[in-house]
Amino acid sequence: MSAAIPSVACLGVIGRNNNPLHISIFPSYDPLANAFTPIRNPLQFSLLLSSTIDVFDLRSKNSTASGDYGLLHAIDDRLAAYGFETNTGVRMVCIVDMRGRRVEAGGSGAVGVGAGLRDAELKPVFRAMQSAYVRLLQNPFYDPDEHAPLGGKGGKRITSKKFGDAMKRIGEAWTPGVTTL
Amino acid sequence: MDGYPLGSLDHNVPLLVVSGLSSSHDQPEPPPKAKGKANGEGVLLRSDLPPLEGKEASFLESFFERVNERGKSWTVMTREEPYRVRVKTVGRTFTLPPRRATLPETIEPLTTAPVLHSPFSPLSPSSALYPDGLMNAEWIRKHQEEVPSVFICFHTLTSDPKTATLQDNRLKADLNGIRATLLESGYKTRLVVIILGDQEARATLTAEVIQDRLEYIRRGTGLDPKSIFYIPSQDTQVELKRVMDSILTLLYNTAIEYYRDLGRHARKKRSRGVVPQPTLPPTSGTSQTLSLPDWNFRYDFKSAIFAEFRQEIDAAVRSFEQAYEILLGQDVLDIIPSWSPRWNEARLLADIISIRCLRLHLWMGQTSLAVRRWQAHRDRIGDFVDRRGRGTNNYGWQAWESRWATVMANLIELVQVPGLGPMTMTIYLPPEKALFGERLQPWELLHHTGYWYRIAARHLGARRALAHRIPDDDRGAPDASPASRVASKAIRYDTYMCPPPHEEYPLDGTGVNHAQLIIDCLLNARSQFQARKQHRIAAEISLECAREMATMKSWNEVLAMLRPLWEDKSFRSEWWLDISEDILWVMRRAAAETGRADIVVAIDWELMDKRYTRKQNWHYDLGKSLDGVSSTVKPFITISDDLASSFVAASFAFRSKEGRAGETCLAQLSLKSDAHQVATPVTLASIRIEFEGHLKPITIVHDSSAPSTNSSGESPSVSAVSLTERLPESNEKDAYLTGTCDLTLKPGHRRVLEMDIPLREPGQVSASRVILTYKADAFELDYTLSLSELGKVGAWYVHGLAKPRLSRPDGHILQIQPRPPKMKLALVEPMDQYYANEPIPLRISLLNEEHDAANVKLDVRIVGKTIPRFRVEAGEHKREVDAAEEESQVTGLTLGRVASSSSMEVSIHLDPAPAPTVYDIEVQADYHLESDAATPIFQVLPVHLNVVNAFEANYDLMPRLHPDAWPSLFDYEDVQDLTEGEVIPAKGLAQQWCLVCHYASFATEELDVVGLDLLVTGVTPGGRCQVVNQPEFSADGMPVAPQKMYEARFDLVAQKATLDDRHPVAIDLAFAVRWRRRQRQRQQQPTGGESGTVNVTTMTVGQYMVLGTEPRVLASVLHSSPEQAGLVRLDITIENPSSHFLTFGLAMEPSDAFAFSGPKQTTMHLLPMSRRTKTYRLLPLVRGVFIRPGLVVRDKYFQKVLRVIPTEGMKIDKDGLLVWVPLAPEG
Repeated sequence: MSAAIPSVACLGVIGRNNNPLHISIFPSYDPLANAFTPIRNPLQFSLLLSSTIDVFDLRSKNSTASGDYGLLHAIDDRLAAYGFETNTGVRMVCIVDMRGRRVEAGGSGAVGVGAGLRDAELKPVFRAMQSAYVRLLQNPFYDPDEHAPLGGKGGKRITSKKFGDAMKRIGEAWTPGVTTL
Repeated sequence: MDGYPLGSLDHNVPLLVVSGLSSSHDQPEPPPKAKGKANGEGVLLRSDLPPLEGKEASFLESFFERVNERGKSWTVMTREEPYRVRVKTVGRTFTLPPRRATLPETIEPLTTAPVLHSPFSPLSPSSALYPDGLMNAEWIRKHQEEVPSVFICFHTLTSDPKTATLQDNRLKADLNGIRATLLESGYKTRLVVIILGDQEARATLTAEVIQDRLEYIRRGTGLDPKSIFYIPSQDTQVELKRVMDSILTLLYNTAIEYYRDLGRHARKKRSRGVVPQPTLPPTSGTSQTLSLPDWNFRYDFKSAIFAEFRQEIDAAVRSFEQAYEILLGQDVLDIIPSWSPRWNEARLLADIISIRCLRLHLWMGQTSLAVRRWQAHRDRIGDFVDRRGRGTNNYGWQAWESRWATVMANLIELVQVPGLGPMTMTIYLPPEKALFGERLQPWELLHHTGYWYRIAARHLGARRALAHRIPDDDRGAPDASPASRVASKAIRYDTYMCPPPHEEYPLDGTGVNHAQLIIDCLLNARSQFQARKQHRIAAEISLECAREMATMKSWNEVLAMLRPLWEDKSFRSEWWLDISEDILWVMRRAAAETGRADIVVAIDWELMDKRYTRKQNWHYDLGKSLDGVSSTVKPFITISDDLASSFVAASFAFRSKEGRAGETCLAQLSLKSDAHQVATPVTLASIRIEFEGHLKPITIVHDSSAPSTNSSGESPSVSAVSLTERLPESNEKDAYLTGTCDLTLKPGHRRVLEMDIPLREPGQVSASRVILTYKADAFELDYTLSLSELGKVGAWYVHGLAKPRLSRPDGHILQIQPRPPKMKLALVEPMDQYYANEPIPLRISLLNEEHDAANVKLDVRIVGKTIPRFRVEAGEHKREVDAAEEESQVTGLTLGRVASSSSMEVSIHLDPAPAPTVYDIEVQADYHLESDAATPIFQVLPVHLNVVNAFEANYDLMPRLHPDAWPSLFDYEDVQDLTEGEVIPAKGLAQQWCLVCHYASFATEELDVVGLDLLVTGVTPGGRCQVVNQPEFSADGMPVAPQKMYEARFDLVAQKATLDDRHPVAIDLAFAVRWRRRQRQRQQQPTGGESGTVNVTTMTVGQYMVLGTEPRVLASVLHSSPEQAGLVRLDITIENPSSHFLTFGLAMEPSDAFAFSGPKQTTMHLLPMSRRTKTYRLLPLVRGVFIRPGLVVRDKYFQKVLRVIPTEGMKIDKDGLLVWVPLAPEG
């Protein structure tokens, strides 16, 4: 007997100008095909990420001091978006697939199988994303203004491979209950 | 919600039946009759009394209608709400459904008397549930709509005393009849009588009489005291409403009691634990009857419904959950075969129970629990369907899933869950307290209805996908296909609350319009998201909608849906490229289908950009854009970069930051094509660059023959474009520059056009936009790109180098400085200083140092406090301007042509300034060279003139003794005849004064003073004043050195016209200096005329008072000839101009310095208007010093010492008079 546990379906970084900086998509377990495939196509994930901007904007009016927005909204009965905002207005979104992975029931790794998720359990993800982003900013060849021109529109995407790898590692390593990434 | 049987989901509230309000409701009598055929006769409650008429009756009717409407609401009933009931208004007759079902007529008579059951029970053969049905909505409807908890009869109390008893008796009999019928029927419906008193009753009947009559009726009918109400006639409807409200509040409790009894009855039957036997054992079908768990389910369900009637939410939830568990337990649903219609009935019951539970949870504010319950039901049913039914992998299941999501959305709307309305802007509710801190699934926080509609839409999509997978064999109509297939279809397809395969997706015909269903759902969702300002999700839904519409080929709707997204550039402006690309492709298709050429071309232009992913097999040729798009006229399309982004990037840079008018400036326009590599090169017809500021637009036309610098690879091709200026005669504004160049843009290629722009007018110029014109056979396109992006670093391209040199920020801005003027303006022979009261001539020379002859115009502008009249002369041109305040000018004085390196002189003459002042004169020469008429040049000469006074002076007025004798009052000889009409010579007292002027020249050079004048500018009437003596000058005048004091004395005589005048006289004096500038040494030119003119500077001296009435003492001294050993005569003259007789005492003190003869002490009497002189002769004992005669004059009467006023040759200090004794002559 196996049970589904949450996994990261998509990690997104959204720039100050509401432009996508980075999108990583992670495959989810598909019980029908018994294989790992992304639950949505990249276009749909883009739409999901962009839709979180509305929630960020809505919630920032009665803003949380910390920048941790917790659950932004649920998308359906599998996907839910969680968000975090840095002081510089860069937004990090984690779309969680609540049934993205399979574990053998009774295994010690599964914390509260099928019992939902607390906002706090996503904190390590955002912490790790933020430190990866900080490392990216420390790179002298990375020009933040190129990615979110001041007062302008749009911006380039992050092309750093290192950053992409860090995102990939975070997305793959996270399961509920993980405290450090 | 609509698929569920009518009444199965209603919010159950007590039902009241109101009878006797109007006869109009008596019609619906036949239906019970029809029913009676199968189920036996209904119970007819009737009364023969006429129904109530009148205003009150109709008001009550509408009142009950409103109450009934309110009773249908699904919102939670709060404590504040006194009652919530459904009211049915009938006439005098009302039919209750039959209590017992009859036996079907077809069966043979039984040996024993049959046990009859309710027509709704599965025990009765006539029931739809017979023999093994569980429950149906009919039963709920019976309680909600047919069997009232309270039967209310409205009657009147007649006030006519004659018929009162008769009427009361009739009423009594009537009520007894109804009561008996009710009792007999077995229904526990309460009977209530409401008696309305009419207007007369209030007037004629006393309370006691009414009380007695009511008591009589009550006792006669055996009614409860609580069941009879009397409403006296009310004044207003508001009061009547209030009374009815309180009656309904009381009756509500009665009704609750009724449903409690029913609930108790159901529980009692359940606790019996016996399976009741049907009236007849079933003979058809499986001949199976309900088992004990089935019956328990029925009883629990009934208890729950009755609890809901009573608004006991907790009890209802408990009973519903119990019923639900039994239903889905192993004894009920598990053993019903899935092919049986009972299976779907049971599923329906499960749905109904769940919906009711969800509603109860929402009422209790347990939102997350509700979601959990929603989810649990779905999972459980899914599990059942998988296990026992037709599985979840068919369209039927998806149809139900979508229905189930819609149910949640509808429930949230109908229950009006607090805190989740659109106004609150909340996206989801936090979990209720009971679940706080639990690990919750994200969606277990109740999201707003938009989410639920979206989920429903998604399941509808899945339903369509599955429906399209139905094999063709199953899609035929059942009558056209073999029976075996029909049977297999029944087993394979889940048709629970959805059409069978041949209707869902028929072989021919339309079937279910899935797209429309999806669009409806999505639009519902979109409005919810929009209300909460979630515009991006709304846009996403719009896109989904558009895709659905595209499947229905309603292209106009697609355009209408997507156009706003395209126009407000959502996603594109924020660089969500994949999303915008998707929108663009959908939209392009719609635009192409609807023949909107402009949109098609704009989108094609946009999609050429290689930022977007390349679509395989797409031509990427702008020229072919409108292939297949039907358009009657050749469209002319205008788009700009704020509507559609461009694959062509343009930038413009001037070589230098500043330029000068009359010169040229290099500039580059760089066009970079970011098109896909496979795209066809775009050849622009022309380019037009527009500027802000004084620079004419540049048009560059394509010329394929022009040498195209065919650079390879990365490095941009820089091609020089020579510009020619076009000046249409009609309007100078239309002037423009043109050039030709090869304007083919290859993908990934940068084309740089370098041009030398002639600068004409000064000012700031910035390139504002560039318009690219593209002409194809099918259309023409103007694409406008903005160039004025602030802060952008201008790039300068050099041929052969791939990377541009970054020049400076804002490279598109150029400062054009005015052309440097080479015309020299100078002041010829300026004076060091200009003085007030002299005319000021200024001579200005213009020297043309330009290389060419110039046409000059002159502007002269003078600024100051007051500007005198002035005139400007230049050869034959002359201009004169009158005096003005503040500012005065001459503009556009044509000077004509000034040849190169020749000069010209202009003179400006200013009239004398009356006072010191400051002038700022600006002389401006506007000119243009004959060789370059378009560039205006100007040169300015500022002149600052400080005009000062040439002289300053101070004054002293000293008294003198008038030599003439005073006129006598008694002199009759001087009396003149006034008839002669001549000027009367002054006859009054006269005084002589001496004005001493000390003046100094403030000029910077020596001036010649040619004369000094004292002017009497004003005398009080009745007085006269004249200058009797003034200094004389030679014709050459007296040179006056700067900063040196000079003195001038003027003697004046002031006299009054008559003796009678006693008032003092004020005189105003002015001192005028006539002067001229010294003749210069080197005075060749005949300008001496001006410097020789005499200027007059007049200075006001001020006002003096003379000829007062106070007496005064004047001392005058007369030196004898030197031979007489320096004898000095001192005359003391006392004047008495007053009209009093005065006495003065004179005392002369002896002194060491002189000896004197004359009285040492004496008294002088002065008549009015007289003067007397006392003479002392002094013999000074010293020489060459001042002697001090100790003379005291005292007014005897006032005992006051008078001051002795000195005259010539004397002076005075604080101790008294001083007389100068000259030195003795030598020898």
